[in-house]
Amino acid sequence: MAEIAEHIKDPRFVLQTRNLTRQFDGFFAVKNVNFRLARDSVHAVIGPNGAGKTTLFNLLTKHLAPTDGAILHEGEDVTRLKMPAMAKRGVVRSFQISAVFAGLTVQENVEVALLRSSGIAWSVLGRISKRSGVTERAAALLRRFGLAEHAATMAGNLSYGRKRVLELATTLALEPKVLLLDEPMAGLGREDIGRVTALIQEARQGRTVLLVEHNMNVVAQLADTITVMVRGEILAEGPYDEVAANPDVIAAYTGRAHG
Amino acid sequence: MTTIFGVPSAVLFGQLLLGLVNGAFYAMLSLGLAVIFGMMNIVNFAHGAQYMMGAMLAWLLFNFLGIGYWSALVIAPLSVGLMGIAVERFLLRRLYGLDHLYGMLLTFGLALMAQGALSNWFGSSGQPYAIPAELAGGRNLGFMFLPNYRAWVLAASLVVCLGTWYVVERTRLGAYLRAATENPMLVQAFGIRVPRMIMLTYGAGVALAAMAGVLAAPVYQVSPSMGADLLIVVFAVVVIGGMGSIMGSIVTGFLVGLIEGLTKAFYPELSSTVVFLVMAVVLMLRPAGLFGSRLDNAGGPHEAPAEAPSSSPRTQMVLVVTLAASLIVAPLVIYPGFMMKAMIFALFASAFNLIAGYGRLVSFGHAMFLGSAGYVCGHAAKVWGLTPELAILTGTATAALLGLVSGWLAIRRSGIYFAMVTLAFAQMIYFVALQAPFTGGENGLQGVPRGMLFGWIDLSNPVNLYVFVTVIFLGGFVLIMRLVDSPFGRVLRAISNHEARAQSLGFEIDHYKCVAFTLSAALAGLAGSTKAIVTQIASLTDAHWSMSGEVLLMTFLGGVGTLLGPVIGAFVVVAMQNYLAGLGQWVAVIHGLIFAVCVLAFRRGIVGEAAAWWRRRKPHGAGPVPAPVQAASGK
Repeated sequence: MAEIAEHIKDPRFVLQTRNLTRQFDGFFAVKNVNFRLARDSVHAVIGPNGAGKTTLFNLLTKHLAPTDGAILHEGEDVTRLKMPAMAKRGVVRSFQISAVFAGLTVQENVEVALLRSSGIAWSVLGRISKRSGVTERAAALLRRFGLAEHAATMAGNLSYGRKRVLELATTLALEPKVLLLDEPMAGLGREDIGRVTALIQEARQGRTVLLVEHNMNVVAQLADTITVMVRGEILAEGPYDEVAANPDVIAAYTGRAHG
Repeated sequence: MTTIFGVPSAVLFGQLLLGLVNGAFYAMLSLGLAVIFGMMNIVNFAHGAQYMMGAMLAWLLFNFLGIGYWSALVIAPLSVGLMGIAVERFLLRRLYGLDHLYGMLLTFGLALMAQGALSNWFGSSGQPYAIPAELAGGRNLGFMFLPNYRAWVLAASLVVCLGTWYVVERTRLGAYLRAATENPMLVQAFGIRVPRMIMLTYGAGVALAAMAGVLAAPVYQVSPSMGADLLIVVFAVVVIGGMGSIMGSIVTGFLVGLIEGLTKAFYPELSSTVVFLVMAVVLMLRPAGLFGSRLDNAGGPHEAPAEAPSSSPRTQMVLVVTLAASLIVAPLVIYPGFMMKAMIFALFASAFNLIAGYGRLVSFGHAMFLGSAGYVCGHAAKVWGLTPELAILTGTATAALLGLVSGWLAIRRSGIYFAMVTLAFAQMIYFVALQAPFTGGENGLQGVPRGMLFGWIDLSNPVNLYVFVTVIFLGGFVLIMRLVDSPFGRVLRAISNHEARAQSLGFEIDHYKCVAFTLSAALAGLAGSTKAIVTQIASLTDAHWSMSGEVLLMTFLGGVGTLLGPVIGAFVVVAMQNYLAGLGQWVAVIHGLIFAVCVLAFRRGIVGEAAAWWRRRKPHGAGPVPAPVQAASGK
């Protein structure tokens, strides 16, 4: 392990993988992937259905455990860490199917994240409102994300687009250093896509962002670097124009119904 | 005579045979559970009752109509299976799409009704059922004596188990079944009538249980309660084996029977608890079970709005003051003994609601905390001579410790598995209470002194006692109210809404769940300890599984996930028991009926429905309303 770490320790990269592999009953969803996420960049992973993007994403976010290989965060081996530990290191993910706490109000959703980051989540008898400005900070975040008027709405009753915005607000409440977004535009209408794209543009300041996304317009607009995956392996990597002109990438995508 | 490790070999082989016979029943019942669960995602809590009905029917057929064993072996499974089909068609079908918990609660209610009604008609004592003449006697194998009937049970159960395995895993019908489990819509699109298939599967699973019952009739005594205790062991078997595979259920069933047999031969004191110990070890080492490939859907989001809103501090103040005032006035019109009993159960139900309502972990074993705290508190007051407050503290601490250990193991599984694991642990504690030297066994721990509170307040004075209980209840209630509203309570609700999201925000969800479970156990223990001081007795009823069912009933009837719901539910149930005490076993039938009605028509409970009604009346004023738990969209 030490030898691996020496080999790929590189301060320019926040997250790196070394021969990362995940098998499902003999099928390689991700196979020997060496992936690097450059600091302060927006990096998109694309590929046809079944290419292994989501599996790679789930491995990086600790939703899945790898069969083989290593993951490094800031040069440290984090292969065995669990999701909460990653969140505490500042690596926070979003979900493809929007993940809000449906039975909590919009305001309460954001407060939950703030409770964690302000370290009072274990207070068993205290009240939230009187504590370290959590309520005020949540309200400020909601204003910034245009959700202030829905603060008292049950999150489960929000429209789909607003749920995604709320999820982003909750994630950013933790002020993560690395933001991992799983298909942030999935299921959104054109108007919402514009809004969420703008929010991601704003959120990237001072952060590293990794996203898995199907919408090529969004990818072209946001991403500095694009990784193309096919059949569990990395096919190409580089800026949008370079990747889009790559004949292998074109071959992988032709004949498939893809937007 | 030869001995093996000091045990005569004939005894050892005899116990092993008995273990195998028990294992045959575990295998047949867990197999039926697995088939039903695989198809419908319902844990059939009526499985034990259906097994019992098979045996009872065989007994009735013989005693009233003179119909013998071999005919009963056909008639009983068919009739009980038909009843199962009716249950699926008219009741269970209404619950698809809701949380699996409701199926479990409904079948539990049905089991209570069946068991209560049959006890009422035929008494609860065991009835003998003769071995059929063809299978009487036995043969000497040289190393042991093999009764023919036992050999027949083993052979028959093997045929039934392997036959079921063959149908499900190797035939076209089985392929449709398995496909419909994975994707019912798709199979429906192939032109297969999935609802009918589900109905028949349930019927078949139930018939299997009834057939096991007929096979069991000559081995065990036939009684209305024969299924309930067996079912709990079968649940432990299911947790040990993992519900994933049919073959897994069969192998685990026989294996557990053998382990029990071995224990009976070498260390009989442990034989009734060994299954649960094995379960604990499996949970520690391999939480998905020996044959389970994956853990149950741990992170599924609950889509619909649920849970109570946090009310403002002023509303809470008004609530507590009103509650205190009515409790102070109540003894003027209501018998204080009733009030104290109701308050103790209200505290118990509120403690249960903390974990079931706000943490969405429905425990089916909370009786273990009420019961064990009662015993320890009683023992501390009676034998160690502690003052009541110290005795209560000791009892409460015991329950908390028990909660910490059992919770630490149980939270490795979620949903219905969590319910089964807690039920199994509680059964283990029940057996400990039955056998331990200081509990007084069937008689209970009697003559617990009320003593002098802090050494100077005489609790044998009825006014002092009433005030004492009121203070404890109100204190517990306020504590729970604050807990729910605290940052910790908020995180707990968030976790119950969406585990994976909570993890991704950096919460170690298992720690939160474990602490919540321990707190709930401690408060249940406070109720149990207080009960021992007030009633001056700690008894087995408080540790029995039916007590775990009662607290569930109180909470669901009153309104799960609401502050006042469990309190109101407890008062209603205790009042009902007081006024209906003359009806004997019919009380169980009424309990079961209320369960069924609550689950089918009334899922928010009294307080939840009232709040919903209030909100419909004034659409803008009030906050959100607790809604019934909806299906996890993950599966």
